[in-house]
Amino acid sequence: MKRRPISRRGFLKGAGGVAAGGALSAPASSAPTPEAAKAVFPSPRVRGEVEVELSLNGAAQKVTVEPRTTLLSALRHRVEPALTGTKLVCDGGSCGACTVIIDGEPRYSCMTLALDAVGRDVRTVEGLSEGQELSPVQQAFWEEDALMCGFCTPGFVMSVTACLEENPAADDAEVRRACSGNLCRCGTYPHIFRAAQKAGQRMQGEER
Amino acid sequence: MAEIKWGKREDHTLLNTDILRIDGPDKVSGRAKYSHDVRLPGMLYGRVLGCPFPSAKPKVDISGVDVEGAFVAMPIEDALRDGATTWLWQPIAAVAAETPELAEDALRQIRVEYEEQKWAVTPDQALGDDAPRIGRDGNVVRPSERGDLDETEVEMDECDAVVEAEYTIPIQHHACLETHGVVVDYSGGDEATVYASTQFTHGVSGDAARELGLERANVVTLVEHMGGGFGAKFGLDLPGMIACRLAKESKRPVHLMLDRRSEFLAAGNRSGGITKMTGGMMKDGTLRALVSDITRLGGVGMGANPGQPYIYSAGTSYTTAKSVLTNTDSSRAMRAPGHPQASFAIESIIDELAAELGLDQLEVRKKNLADEVYHRQLDRAAKEIGWHDHANKARPAAELPDVATGIGFGVATWGGGGRKVCQVDVKIENDGSVVASVGSQDLGTGTRTYLAAIVAEELGLTIDQVSARIGDSRFGNANASGGSTTTPSLAPSIKVAAHKAREAFFERVAPLLEAQPAELKAKDGKVFVAAEPDRSIPWASACAGLGEAGVEARGEWQQDLQARGIHGAQAAKVEVDTLTGELRVVKFVAVHDVGLPLNRLALRSQINGGVIEALSYALFEERIIEPWLGAPLNASFEEYKLAGSMDMPEFVSIIDDDDDREAVIGMAEATIIPGQSAIANAIFNACGVRLRDMPFTRDKILMGLASRG
Repeated sequence: MKRRPISRRGFLKGAGGVAAGGALSAPASSAPTPEAAKAVFPSPRVRGEVEVELSLNGAAQKVTVEPRTTLLSALRHRVEPALTGTKLVCDGGSCGACTVIIDGEPRYSCMTLALDAVGRDVRTVEGLSEGQELSPVQQAFWEEDALMCGFCTPGFVMSVTACLEENPAADDAEVRRACSGNLCRCGTYPHIFRAAQKAGQRMQGEER
Repeated sequence: MAEIKWGKREDHTLLNTDILRIDGPDKVSGRAKYSHDVRLPGMLYGRVLGCPFPSAKPKVDISGVDVEGAFVAMPIEDALRDGATTWLWQPIAAVAAETPELAEDALRQIRVEYEEQKWAVTPDQALGDDAPRIGRDGNVVRPSERGDLDETEVEMDECDAVVEAEYTIPIQHHACLETHGVVVDYSGGDEATVYASTQFTHGVSGDAARELGLERANVVTLVEHMGGGFGAKFGLDLPGMIACRLAKESKRPVHLMLDRRSEFLAAGNRSGGITKMTGGMMKDGTLRALVSDITRLGGVGMGANPGQPYIYSAGTSYTTAKSVLTNTDSSRAMRAPGHPQASFAIESIIDELAAELGLDQLEVRKKNLADEVYHRQLDRAAKEIGWHDHANKARPAAELPDVATGIGFGVATWGGGGRKVCQVDVKIENDGSVVASVGSQDLGTGTRTYLAAIVAEELGLTIDQVSARIGDSRFGNANASGGSTTTPSLAPSIKVAAHKAREAFFERVAPLLEAQPAELKAKDGKVFVAAEPDRSIPWASACAGLGEAGVEARGEWQQDLQARGIHGAQAAKVEVDTLTGELRVVKFVAVHDVGLPLNRLALRSQINGGVIEALSYALFEERIIEPWLGAPLNASFEEYKLAGSMDMPEFVSIIDDDDDREAVIGMAEATIIPGQSAIANAIFNACGVRLRDMPFTRDKILMGLASRG
């Protein structure tokens, strides 16, 4: 697997969870006072915001983020206009709905800090199609009905795109591996696999 | 008006073919906007605090909350009973802030003192002497009894084989990828708009109006797209209610979609259950006697189970049933509520009895299924899965190979009928454009697409010539999408609306062709005299004279355009590694009748989807709550596993075209019913291990192999 999730944010989130969980579940007598809580977790609110430049779908864009802001949150909440094609589903690196392509590799944007995406080429699902023209992967997803409610679809489209851009001749087993970090609840997997094969064939045709 | 019929399925030009979804391009490109994606000026993000105890009296202190910017926090007290929560993760407070991260900060700053109450999270705890009183009438509710026990026991004594067993099925989560929630666009004043992730567009405005103190007529609900429901998303619901309160208090639009943990714990589930069963079978395979005792486990809800002997015939049958309440969130409808639970028990015991008597699993099913449709569908499934060439049709050999292959079967049923509720409007404009609208919603089933397709076919147009508008409470009425009732309620109304629009249109066009309206036909973008196709006029020219008002028609439901009663047969082929206990489902065949297929492509997706949800339930899914701490152990996608791409078998999803009913029927529920039963039976068929407790994990298979010797 080529995925290299950047997990600092996972650490931060875990630490916050411990502090909050402790306060919530401890019996009243031993509940930490707000002061004590602060000592454990000195700054629960990281308010420092910085303006950074992200390269989104080939265009430089200035975005104001906090150090803790994930790339996913930046795309969905801080970029103007919001890039909401990238979905938030698990917010914890287990479903792939937030998959973007960074420097050619599929990444969970919920596990990538926005700051860590600075200076790198970030592509989202919005960047695949030009106007109304769909990319070969998107077109094949549509034709093979590789979508139902559609909420996982952009993530799968990105995973399959990254897989086929690296190897348009990827076989079924490689496609399944490439999609193994994505979850679908409606059950579109078999049609996704077919769509990937169809798109791969078309992409190979283009190369020739 | 001429009689309105669908006509023979082979005569359709658009319906009954593979139709590409009209919203496909939006969904594959990220353009499709879900409630989650709504962005409004000044919008706040809401977060909900759930009680970490199954029952506790919370004392909420919000004085420490000092997140900058607009912010609202308030305790949610009216859902408490005697000041206490009654289910794990029940919301007790909520906040709204400028960004989701700030809302989470604010949530962390809320201090709560919990006075833990007595609680129960397992049925044993709920039935214990020391149990808290969870329901107003105690913890055992809705008891029922059916049949004659004495008579059944007399018959049981006559049977050649008797099996007694207990089948348990866990609580399953809907696990919608878009969590529950709404965006409430309200900044004071008389009007509001609610963007809802719901299965019932028309079911939100009334509740939201009450919460906001507005008139229902002034609250619009929009459901452009929604990311999965499966039965869990009806009404305004808790997050919607909270969002309305936050919006009212802050006078700002509020975006409140549950976080994933709350989605797992506070947004419903499929009830689990225990079925204790004794079954008796004759040597010829006749199920002669069945005694069943069903316990439904739906948290503070009732759970669901249609009872026994479910689809099968039993000579005599006696069934008792009850719900046992626990301090966890209420079960909700979930795709075929209660049916997978019932299926697992009856399909398993029939298989156990057949194995006991050395009978063919396929034949014994047919023996006990009165409806011939099942025989046809089971035979088709058997053929596709390779049953006839399969070596062991009753039970596996004593000596197992390293990788043992097994096949199992199961059947399904559902009503799938509709009712008079939907009002569909079709308008033909004078530039030739056509719009069809109704306030229904598309859960991913393809509602939007067949709305356009039915109208296009009726008017002789291509599907892209018709605009389909749904998901807006200002459009005509439509029912909740539950129980596979959307298509049988909606499609007839669409057909009637399109038909009426066409007749009204022909009235206007007939003079242009110097013909009578009844002589006209519309096909391939032309209007022509049926008997003389050369006397024709292009669609656009025909529309040009319609004037500014165009032609409009409203259609309502016509009973004989829909029907009820569907079937299904499924077969699973598995491989069990008899050394490691590893289980792989390698092939799945599903045969389902659907009445008139509207969109064959979307139907195959639906069949796949039902099978996959059942496969996932069978292999992985189970809500786990630690019984001594009352703590949820797997309220995330890391710990609550869904089937993924590496778990997918080969699929053969078949629309049963021997069903020639010229009527639409809802079919989605049936597809999810028998999958786990077929897998359980296939595991036994492969290696002789009978699993009576889902999910079918490797440890259970290994234990079974070990005890088999």
